[in-house]
Amino acid sequence: MSCGNPVADANALMQRRKKYDKTNSCVKCKVTQGNLVIRHAVYCKDCFLHLVVHKFRRALEPTVNPKPDGPRRTALKPAGNLLVGFSGGLGSSVLLDLVHRCYVALDKSTMPSDGGRDHPRHERVWKKVTICYVEVCDAFPGMRDRTEEITQHVKRYDDLEFVPLRIQDAFDRSWWEKIGGKSFPSEIGASLADEALFLQSLPSTSADPLTSLRAYLSSLPTPTAVTASIQTLTRLLLLHTALQTGSSHLVLGTSLTSLAVSLISGVAQGAGFNIREETQEEWTPEPETLMGLDHAPDASEGSKTGKKGKRTVRVVRPLRDVGMKECAAWAWWSGVPVVGKEKWVWAGAKPGIATLTKGTVLSRIIEAAHILKRYPDFIVGLEKDYPSTVSTIVRTCSKLAPKGEVSGKCILCGRPAQRGVQEWKARISIRDRPPAPGSTEDATAKTADAEPLQPSLTPYLCYSCHTTLTSKSARPLPSPWPASAQAPLVSLPVWTEARLSSAIRDVDGAEHVHAEIMQTRQVGQDEMKGIVDEFLLDDQE
Amino acid sequence: MPPRTCALCNDARAILKRPKTGQQICKDCFFYVFETEVHNTITEAQLFKRGDRVAIGASGGKDSTVLAHVMKTLNERYNYGLELFLLSIDEGITGYRDDSLETVKRNQQQYDMPLKILSYDELYGWTMDAIVSQVGKKNNCTFCGVFRRQALDRGAAILNVDHIVTGHNADDIAETVLMNIMRGDIARLGRCTSICTQGEDTIKRSKPFKYAYEKEIVMYAYFKKLDYFSTECIYSPDAYRGHARAFLKDLEAARPSAIIDIIHSGEAFEIKEDVKATQKIQQTCKRCGYMSSNELCKACTLLEGLERGMAQAAVTDRARKKLDAVGPAPENLRQIPMFKPPSGVHNSTHVAASVGT
Repeated sequence: MSCGNPVADANALMQRRKKYDKTNSCVKCKVTQGNLVIRHAVYCKDCFLHLVVHKFRRALEPTVNPKPDGPRRTALKPAGNLLVGFSGGLGSSVLLDLVHRCYVALDKSTMPSDGGRDHPRHERVWKKVTICYVEVCDAFPGMRDRTEEITQHVKRYDDLEFVPLRIQDAFDRSWWEKIGGKSFPSEIGASLADEALFLQSLPSTSADPLTSLRAYLSSLPTPTAVTASIQTLTRLLLLHTALQTGSSHLVLGTSLTSLAVSLISGVAQGAGFNIREETQEEWTPEPETLMGLDHAPDASEGSKTGKKGKRTVRVVRPLRDVGMKECAAWAWWSGVPVVGKEKWVWAGAKPGIATLTKGTVLSRIIEAAHILKRYPDFIVGLEKDYPSTVSTIVRTCSKLAPKGEVSGKCILCGRPAQRGVQEWKARISIRDRPPAPGSTEDATAKTADAEPLQPSLTPYLCYSCHTTLTSKSARPLPSPWPASAQAPLVSLPVWTEARLSSAIRDVDGAEHVHAEIMQTRQVGQDEMKGIVDEFLLDDQE
Repeated sequence: MPPRTCALCNDARAILKRPKTGQQICKDCFFYVFETEVHNTITEAQLFKRGDRVAIGASGGKDSTVLAHVMKTLNERYNYGLELFLLSIDEGITGYRDDSLETVKRNQQQYDMPLKILSYDELYGWTMDAIVSQVGKKNNCTFCGVFRRQALDRGAAILNVDHIVTGHNADDIAETVLMNIMRGDIARLGRCTSICTQGEDTIKRSKPFKYAYEKEIVMYAYFKKLDYFSTECIYSPDAYRGHARAFLKDLEAARPSAIIDIIHSGEAFEIKEDVKATQKIQQTCKRCGYMSSNELCKACTLLEGLERGMAQAAVTDRARKKLDAVGPAPENLRQIPMFKPPSGVHNSTHVAASVGT
């Protein structure tokens, strides 16, 4: 439609500029010669290290108290403990180091010198700090297990608890019960091969968690869906662990760069409604999770909100103002070792898309979006060449708020789901043809007969999770585990099954799920069709 | 392999794979879904009222050619009761519009719709060729974009229509969402997914192809044997939008629903209230009466720069200051004629029921 670029101001052309603006001495102390350029500003090593600590505290501390206390700085009194989500990557290594220095070891060099010896900031903020690592190696063929290395890494720091998990714990009922989730009697699976995502009872003999995980991942339609699902599973494992350890805060090592990447990939997957949660999120567990929690060993420790009955976990990304390059410089100058992470390679996935269109800032971002966590060097390169794009993305997205009504929480990812998304989808891409007027025998009547009222997972999903499960790629993806490929019915993550099961009062069959939940949830397939029919040919004059 | 049957009618042989859904369907079902989706878009947004006079922004390219065809078809099939017009803008780029304007003239006869061609030369006294000879190949898209928008509105005022429909498709919108996020254009990000934009005293403008994939538009033209001209603007530089487009094409190749997903994202968020409050209020240009965010509208500023030989004046703030420093605009400066909105815009009648309901 457009002939090109209607608003081509000089900045849009992204011309290369000089690395720094005016002088090469530090912009802060103005004395020392600079050691590092961050977005055209020059810093010396000392000022830089202070700057990172400052940015870290500035992002985290206003979120510590349950209710922020305005601009005045008061004592930090969190409602519970702290959980650090640790992946072994650069960002989380830096995060762990900063958390330990600032809040466990109470390293004086990380604190402003004013305020005296007894200033409240010199007290421990969180009573207990736990590190949680989720090993994802079993989700990718041939990936090395790093649990041991990570354990050794965490041991370098004193006074920390360590919880190692595996990604398949998301399908493990014993893990679910251990963390205090309500046990559920019947297992419900979904057929992910069918776009309708029908639900059915699983055969009584349940598969082991690893098989369930692989069957689930193998049923996903695209490499993007695999990456997105592993991220969601990891996030939920961390959130439930936070709950179990009585933590009011979960901190993640998402840097400015990774945040920009996850915002863009969120938008590309239709998660615009949840754009806010990518930066900061308050997560309240479902009642199914809390049922057995009071008996969990750590839960009563520390968490005040637990006693009041409503727990929330606040997810904070304290490195959200610190770019990947700054993280790397901090790690190097502070002597923080980085365990590192392996590439997330899914067999059959195309190599980075950027190889097709090398050289543009956007292709770099898409590469990052697609293969996030695979090429940290590469992302550092993005910041080197185009220092402003990542922070522009983050700043733009921070000015957005969700639009429209919320209809409960997504049963897979736990984030707020927007009302009416299925009607929207049905309206703008028609997948069903109503009977032609006047024809006695038509095709849709047949299919309607063939598909009796069957419960579906669709009404419980947010737009983005529904897209993850159903949006196909042009070419189907081969599974790395042929044995688990194309299982007709796959297990769902334990928290999803628990919520589905809790709707069943009688444990007879899956149809009850439909009846029970239909009253409170979004519309099902048939009702949806009714809404679409209103706009279709045969209803017109 | 035996021939596949259409996934929609389960009867005819499938002859195409739908870019949007991946379903294999027959030609008739494709026409049905494509047209019905556009109809759904129109009725859901209640774009038109019976008796509306609607101009189709026609460039002779694929989008507007198909739009003219689909608008005519739907208007007849669902009895919208619209009076349709074709409106073309001649930018005055040698060899760029000539062929496509021929397409538009042919459409005028085929569809029996009145056509108005308005040229930059006629309206502003400058052709794009003349502008490029002064400003060079960089930044000239600013002139063309600003001038075209206003030219369409002025053409619509001449035709006395209530509404302009343009051929912007889903790919264009998804690309704009991404681009606005990446360059931080909050104001445009907030409004780029709305199907219909209307200022207080401007003509309504809408995009019935908002959810139509570019590939399907081409497919529709192909199966309906509609001919159009694919012309690349000879002055178009490889700029930011080009990058956004390449990025989107890559996303689409990996996952075709990405285009719709991005539009959905764009519709699912809005600008926070406190940020909205800081944005500029729309006013009227004191020189030509067109809507504007400043005292002078962008077109008048650009034109003044051209006339005074300081073409960069409206492109950057610094150049604008330089222009002001030289002195006020001379008395005899050539100006765009005063904008008069069509008579129907202010007191549009809401008597007739909305179309399709």
